[in-house]
Order: sequence, then structure tokens, then C-alpha cells
Amino acid sequence: MARHVWRCLAGLLLCLGLGACDNGDGRDTIRLGIAAGPVTLDPRFATDAASHRISRLLYRGLVDFDASNRPVPELADWSQSDPRTYRFELHDTRRPFHHGHRLTAADVAATYRSVLDPKTGSPHRGSLTVIESIEVIDSDTLVFHLSKPDPLFPGRLTLGILPAEKIDSGHAFGQRPLGSGPLRLVRWPSEERVVLERRADEQRIEIVTVKDPIVRVLKLMRGEIDLAQGDLPQELLTWMQDREGVEVVTKRGSIFSYLGFNLRDPVVGEPLVREAIAYAIDRDAIIEHVLGGAARPAGGLLPADHWAGHPTLDGYAHDPARARALLEQAGYAAGDGPAIVYKTSNNPARIRLATIIQHQLKEVGFDVEIRSYDWGTFYADIKSGQFQMYSLSWVGLKLPDIYRYVFHSESLPPAGANRGHYDNPIADALIEEAESLDELDDQALVYQALAAHLHATLPYVPLWYEDNLLAKRPGIRDYELPPDGNYDGLITVKREQ
Amino acid sequence: MLRYIALRLASSALVIFGVSSVVFLLLHLVPGDPVEVMLGESAGVTDREALREALGLNLPLWQQWLQYMQQLLQFDLGVSLHSKRPIAGLLAERIPVTAVLAGASLLLALLLAVPLGVLAAVYHNRAVDRGAMVFALAGVAIPNFWLGPLLILVFAYWFGWLPVSGMQGPASVILPALTLGTALAALQSRMIRTALLEELGRDYIRAARARGFSPLRVIGRHALGNALLPVTTVLGLQLGALLTGAVVTEQIFNWPGVGQLLIDSIQKRDYPVVQACILFISLTYVSVNLLTDLTYAVLDPRVRLEAE
Repeated sequence: MARHVWRCLAGLLLCLGLGACDNGDGRDTIRLGIAAGPVTLDPRFATDAASHRISRLLYRGLVDFDASNRPVPELADWSQSDPRTYRFELHDTRRPFHHGHRLTAADVAATYRSVLDPKTGSPHRGSLTVIESIEVIDSDTLVFHLSKPDPLFPGRLTLGILPAEKIDSGHAFGQRPLGSGPLRLVRWPSEERVVLERRADEQRIEIVTVKDPIVRVLKLMRGEIDLAQGDLPQELLTWMQDREGVEVVTKRGSIFSYLGFNLRDPVVGEPLVREAIAYAIDRDAIIEHVLGGAARPAGGLLPADHWAGHPTLDGYAHDPARARALLEQAGYAAGDGPAIVYKTSNNPARIRLATIIQHQLKEVGFDVEIRSYDWGTFYADIKSGQFQMYSLSWVGLKLPDIYRYVFHSESLPPAGANRGHYDNPIADALIEEAESLDELDDQALVYQALAAHLHATLPYVPLWYEDNLLAKRPGIRDYELPPDGNYDGLITVKREQ
Repeated sequence: MLRYIALRLASSALVIFGVSSVVFLLLHLVPGDPVEVMLGESAGVTDREALREALGLNLPLWQQWLQYMQQLLQFDLGVSLHSKRPIAGLLAERIPVTAVLAGASLLLALLLAVPLGVLAAVYHNRAVDRGAMVFALAGVAIPNFWLGPLLILVFAYWFGWLPVSGMQGPASVILPALTLGTALAALQSRMIRTALLEELGRDYIRAARARGFSPLRVIGRHALGNALLPVTTVLGLQLGALLTGAVVTEQIFNWPGVGQLLIDSIQKRDYPVVQACILFISLTYVSVNLLTDLTYAVLDPRVRLEAE
């Protein structure tokens, strides 16, 4: 305790003496502004977006994904001798760890064994329990033995690899990351600032957390940061587009927004009512006027450019007359539709969208009451099934096993995220059929049939896929905006001199 | 006097105990589960239960409360559920940062309030007084979350004189301190004006004037000294309000203090950190209150006599 008191006093003196108010060490630094900072830089524990995206820069995994989300080799190539055995050969071109040690198959095995150890408490253990054992053949080769066939298994091996000897010694990777990624940590002086260095050219990179979007944009306009990625309200983007000194880039994203329903509810449990809701919402108008065109209509969980996505589904076209007819068919008098409680978070943008949807549903006769809550309360309500209708998004979907997790009748909470209690034998059968196929192309066909079935039965009303947004200062180049919103652009970004 | 201090210390300890217990209970009543936040939804039931057990969250609430109180008595604030770092260390990093902001706000508030209050009293019911009244009304009425972005827009974006946010040298404290200190300055300027007007009407001031002392000496040496006595009391109480105001201001200006830590921890349902932050804020409130009362008792003998 006394140590902390001294630390506190030293900090105060340092602050007063401006030591803590440093602004880098005079080197050219490229600064990226983000809305929420990382919680940990240990990939075994990273669950929030920022921790995950920064960990990708500091560590490298065995496998990554291509543009269509198919697993591709990152550190290693793989081959399959039987449905339950995967052999991985590490590439010769792999980089050493930041402390100079060579990355070997033993490090890979130690990383996965650590995640699988229940004592570690890793949130990623659940997706890897299919691993029965790991066999290290030599320094470049290892074999994963599975307890059952899993054709999606390589896609589960994206976790950053940690040095084995540091795992054993209990190194605090969360605060002092040590990987083999293209960037290394220089310092993490406060939760709001992470200072990194690119190994290839020693370019300093700083990731600055600025929660308030207005302040983030003003920092960008003033040159205090060079890039701002994601979480920018449409009105700010429109404001920036009219100004010099900043460039706004948008790129197709995969964040899936939807309306979810409690299917045990007598009102929204009725398929005709859900169909009426789907037809009553004018998504094109919302995308054009509220989202500034920075989204595309969605037809299902996975977009068409995902290898398992349906190529043509794009949801229900706005047809209020049909919506009214469907309500009448469901037994409601014209203009006197059912009352629905619509839950959403208290994010101003979400409340605005809810208000517009409320108005559009009122046009066809629904009486919608919006209830907004702070994120923790809202999410707890959704997970515990205390809702009639809600809006939410799925972020970072890579593997099609999400269908089982969200729509299979065995995935009711807490086993999965089938929060609306969707119980459909056809959907269950399609999910199980897709999982039994070895080839991804064969699986894709079944998942497309499943997407069409979900589109018809509407456990969700699909809304849109949000675009990724980037605002940058002039002179910043070579920053590629990825569909999943990661920060990989920092590996190549440059400032024109 | 000693008995008075002992009584006040005992009642302060009771207040801290009450606040800690209420915060503990309220936090556990709020929907949201730290285990869910930490493990994500894909974690298995066994993993969740294992972590719940490791964190002691599986115990009945009264047992968790007892454990928490035992830890507190040993000056152990525990470890953050998320970052796994000792909370005392986290607070030790954040408290100086918040202290700098609160100190700068207090200083700016006094620099604004004293001249403004004196001028308003001296030029009673004239243009200066009315101008000061407008400032006071506006200062109290404008919320921090609006004033902060407005100041950033004007002084950082339009004029480019000051940094937008963050800790980037001494200049970066000015805008957050102004945001946080304006309401205090407004309140204090009215307090000083009222107290000074009262003093200026007293016999000893008339006597000083009759002796031919200059107006500066009459106001500066005689009236202001007495007028500042009640102001000091209110100032002490306002220091606590500065800390709670800092929660909003730190968010706007990306100021890495206790306020930011508190908000982040609430969102992550990091119970021990939220408890520690609120404990720190209540401790500050209680300590400042106590110190103010003691200072007042020292400054004003009548208070001391009544207490004894």
C-alpha cells in the first residue's frame, strides 16, 4: 500500500513537472484514433475489438482469412491425413519473436495447450475443445489430433503464438506483449495511448483512444491524430466531406444489423407479423438518408462476398400495402396493428434508428414503444430472453458455424445465442448437413439453402451490412481499409514527406 | 477540540462504511455479468462456472460482502477482473492525473471568481455587476458535456491555440480545467459578491473609511479577508463536486484520470475497480468536508467554542 502511495505522489510530481504529459519522443509518429482502447494485449484473453485488432499486429497466428473469409496459411501450411488429423508445417520465412528467439512448433503447441488449460480461463477455449492432443514432430512441424471431424478446424487457429518459455514463466503478456508480429510494443503509458513500432522500418505508430466522436474528428482536423477508423456518426462524416484537410474513405463491411424477435411471444411469434414488419421497413431510405449510403441491404447473417454467403438474397423490399395486408391476414383490423416493445441500447445513433423504424411500423398500423437502456442492461436483457423485439449487430463473423450458435434448437442460452428460441427442424437439419460435409464448397451450398430458409421464416429481420469508415489526413497513404475493420493498415501506412 | 475531531473521524468512518456497502450491493443488483463480459458468449458453461468460482462470484452475496470488507480493512483493494492488475496501482496512476485537473480547475475558478466577485460588489447594481450576474447564471446553467466541446471548437479548432484533448504538455490542461472550473467560478463569484456586500455595510468598514484609508486597502485588507471566510467553506465542499464533475470532463477531453477509469469499469462490470473508484471519491468528499470544518473551527473561534 505504501508503495502505491509513493507511486501516487511521484505521479503527481511527474504530472506537475510535465513528465507525464509527454507527447512522444520527437520521432515522426503516425497516430490512429479509435473509440475504445484495448483491455489486454494477450491474444489468449482478447475478446473486445480493440484488443483483438491490436494483438493481430503484435502476434502472428498459424492461419488467417482471405477476402472471402476462407482460411489461408499465415505462419504455416496444413494438410489432412484423415478427418481428425491436421499436420502444420511452419514457413521458413517466419519472423522471430520480438525478443529474438526463433518461433518453433513447440511455441505453437504451448500456446494452444495454455488456452486449452481450464486454469488459464481463456475465453477462446470453447471454440478449441475439439483438439484432443497436440503432437510436436520437430521444430517446424506439429500435428493436431481432434476428438471429432471438424472441416472448419483450420479457421479456428488464428490465435497469436506466444513464446513457450515465457508462457511457462507466467509472463504478463497482457501488459507486455511478446509475439512475432510486424509491430512491437514500445510503451503503454495509459489505457488511452498505445505506442508501437514497426519492425521493418522502425516507424512509430500510436493508437490513441478518444471516446467522444466529435473530439476524435476535431483532433483529426487539427492534425493531433492522422487517422480515425470506425465509430463515426454520419453527420460528422458529412461535415468532414465538405472540408479540406481530411479525406473520408468507405469500404464494404460485414457488420450485420438485424431486428431480433422473441418467438415465444404471442405477437411477434406469429410469422405473418414478422413478415409484415420486414415489408414495413424502408431500408433503402434509411441507408440513403440516415446512414449516408454507408451500408448495403442485408439478406442474411453472412454477406454475398463470404464463401458461405448467399449470392442474391438482400432482404424484403419496402411494401407497406403488403405489410398491411399481412397484418389483416394475421387477424388485426386495418390501422389497428399489435403493440410491440422495441428494446435498444442508449447509443444516440441506435435510438435515432429505432425512432425511424418505430415511425415506419406505425405507418402500417403497429404501435411500437421504444425502450432504451445502457449497454450492460440491454445486453443482459437480450441474453436472458427478456425482450419482444430488439435491434443489434453481429460483428466479425468469419466461420459459418455461427448458424449453429444462433439458430440451432440446441443453442438456447446459455449453450448458445439462440435468444429468440427459434426451433425449426428444417434449419436444424440443414445446419447438421453442412457440418457433416468435408469440402467447403459443398458446405457453402447447404449454408446458402439455410440462409434462404431463414430469410423465409424470419427469426431475424435482416437490415443491412454497415460499411467500414476511415478518415485520414492528407499525406497519409498505403492504409488499406479491411472489411472486418481491423488495423492491419498500420503494417503498411506511410506519411508522405 | 480533540473530542470534536475524534467524533468527526468516527462519523466519517461510518459514512465510508455505508457508502462502500451500498455501492457493493447496488453493483451486484445492476444487470450484466462480468464473467460474460470476460469470457464472451461462446464460452462453455463449465468455463464460466470455473471463472465465477475463481473470482469468488459464486459465493452468496453476504459472503462476498464480508470478503470485500475484510480486504478493505487490510487496505487491499483487490485486482481488476479484466486487466488483472492490482487496483491500488491503477488508482495510483490515475489519482495524480485527476488531482492535476481538479487543482487547475480550482485555481482557474479562483482566478476568475475573486476579481469578478469583488468588482460586482464594488460596482453594485451597475453594468459590471450585471455582467458578472450573467456570467454566474450561464456558468452554473451550462453543462460540462456542452461547454467542453464548445471550448474545443473555439479555442482548439477555430483559433488553434490549444490542443483538442489528451495530455500533451501544460497547455492541454487549460480547456478541461476551464470546463470543470467555470461552474465553480460562477458560484464563487456570487458568493464573494454577497459576502463582500455584507461586510462593506458594517461599522468597522465605515470607520476605516472615516480614517481615510484608501478604497483598495479597505476592500483588500479589511473587507475581503472577512468575506472569504464563508467562501472557504463552500470552496471545500465544491472540491468534492469537482471530482464528480471530472468524470464527465475526463471523458470529453480524454483525460486519463479516475473518472475515465470509473466509466470504463462500469461498462465492463469490473466490480472491484468501480468500488475502489467510488471509495476514493467518497473518501475525498469526507476528508475535504472534515478538513473544511476543522479549518473553519480554527479560523472562527465561535465555531470552536460551540463544538466544545
